[in-house]
Amino acid sequence: MIGLKSTLNCIDNSGALVVECVNVLKNKVNNGWGSVGDEIVVVVQRARPISAASQASVNAVKVRRGDVRRAVIVRTRKQVRRPDGTFVRFDDNAAVLLNNKKEMLGTRIGGIVSADLRLKGWGKIVSLAPRVV
Amino acid sequence: MTSSLFRVCARFMATASTSVETTMSYPFSKTALIPPMPVGEFSPGLIQGKGLMQHLRKTLFTPEKHQMIQTLFSRRSPKQLVPGSIVTVISDQAPTLFTGVLIAIRRRGPDTSIRVRNILQRTGVEMQFFVNSPTLKEIKLLKTPSKGRMRRAKLYYLRDAPDKMSSLAGSKSLN
Repeated sequence: MIGLKSTLNCIDNSGALVVECVNVLKNKVNNGWGSVGDEIVVVVQRARPISAASQASVNAVKVRRGDVRRAVIVRTRKQVRRPDGTFVRFDDNAAVLLNNKKEMLGTRIGGIVSADLRLKGWGKIVSLAPRVV
Repeated sequence: MTSSLFRVCARFMATASTSVETTMSYPFSKTALIPPMPVGEFSPGLIQGKGLMQHLRKTLFTPEKHQMIQTLFSRRSPKQLVPGSIVTVISDQAPTLFTGVLIAIRRRGPDTSIRVRNILQRTGVEMQFFVNSPTLKEIKLLKTPSKGRMRRAKLYYLRDAPDKMSSLAGSKSLN
């Protein structure tokens, strides 16, 4: 249940550490709450410092504090129901940054993601994740 | 051309349905899963609805599930699951194998469920499995709690105490 002002950990290597949700997209039915697999608009609250050397290299798009980006929720503390009735709950909220075309900004994912992403069409993220539950 | 194809399909469906004794064929889909119709004689009282819940309690589950529930969740069974034990759940859906500490058992008859907690990739994950789900294949007990019994029925305090959880686990490496 991610909504306005919810903070999430950013688990890719785009440089952001903590992002804050500003808007949940495509949600006419969910009262403005986002869950795993929903696209949200976020503001970067804390980011990894970008050294001048890495600014020149084109490894991955590095974001700065205050950037407004899109993200997809990959873990929630609120439990999510699977079609077979099982529930999954993680200990934190996490997201992965995206660009406007629904492509990932980072190149790697450092953490576990929920398997519900596959059902919502984020197969690329699931394939990059080190562990899927 | 299409009429002969239809005739072949109808003949195939007819032969498929006659090979199983108590399942009926569903004319709109070949891949539909049809549970078998209840077999046996029903007393006139049962058809009216008398003693319905007792009858359902015996017949609603498959015999394997019933066996599993009796051994693992009945309070008198010697092999009953105790909160604090390490358990592996094998299921059809992802994740096919989930190991972790059993932190809660919710006994509600057909709605019986267990909560299993584990720490994967530095993040705690909790899953709630419903025991009577057809996708749940098996619950394997790996280790009982070291001191025999925990002093709580629901171990939700483990969410805030990772050290207590690792001491419960002992030296296991769960994946």
